[in-house]
Amino acid sequence: MAWLEGSALADFLRGLGIWTYGLLNLGHILGIGSLFGAVLILDLKLMGVWRSIPAAILIRPTVPLAAAGFLLAAASGIMMLSFNTTEYHGNPFIYAKFPIIVVGLANVAVIQRLGAWRRAADGAPAEAGDRTMLAIFGALSLLIWTAVITCGRLIGYW
Amino acid sequence: MALALAAFPALAHHGWSGNTAGEIELSGTVVTGVSLAGAHGAMQIEDADGHVWDITLAPGPRTHRAGLKEGVIPVGAEVTVFGERNENPDVFEAKVRRVVWDDQVFDVYPPQ
Repeated sequence: MAWLEGSALADFLRGLGIWTYGLLNLGHILGIGSLFGAVLILDLKLMGVWRSIPAAILIRPTVPLAAAGFLLAAASGIMMLSFNTTEYHGNPFIYAKFPIIVVGLANVAVIQRLGAWRRAADGAPAEAGDRTMLAIFGALSLLIWTAVITCGRLIGYW
Repeated sequence: MALALAAFPALAHHGWSGNTAGEIELSGTVVTGVSLAGAHGAMQIEDADGHVWDITLAPGPRTHRAGLKEGVIPVGAEVTVFGERNENPDVFEAKVRRVVWDDQVFDVYPPQ
């Protein structure tokens, strides 16, 4: 991880002043808020809450919002990490966090290839088993992103 | 000074779990001046035994507000710091509340 600490990006950020880290932290929180807020609504919908609202109506705003939130959180997170990357050696929460993020992204890739998802997103009639399939992946998604945020929050307490 | 240190209650701050080996008072020569970038301010001092200590200060803006700005204490100056040592005896790192240089006292975490 020393390469990140020694990178031109890290040097640039360190020279920006004493509030830089705090503002990056703010960006990280806004990114997490957008990601998790969108994910929470979508996953609860997939799990069966709000039966009267068609899934397609919630999928349309939540998916791009979650993606934008993830990109903001990832960019600000990498920048915060660059300030003192080697300080996190041996921190179990950061070691756990990155693999779980990969699982979360893999879950997104899988769910968007499901026939059940495509039908829901297109507003097409559901087939037998769609509801259960979407509920399982929605619950999995909620579990994964909650775990990611938990690990992230606890990094500073190790 | 022991009395003054005893007056510091548990700080409303996270990240101290690795510094529970007790209070220390440490004197040394500044080898890397104060940097206020990152989650916390930092500096390095070398003690009489030649150990270089990583000194962790308060977050940048707070350390700055305590008067401990970058470049205020020159490299080579003799300073004394008060705080908590890393619990790992092989790691020369301390999170400090107070830095004293000559007659100047910088309380980055002022006593309440």
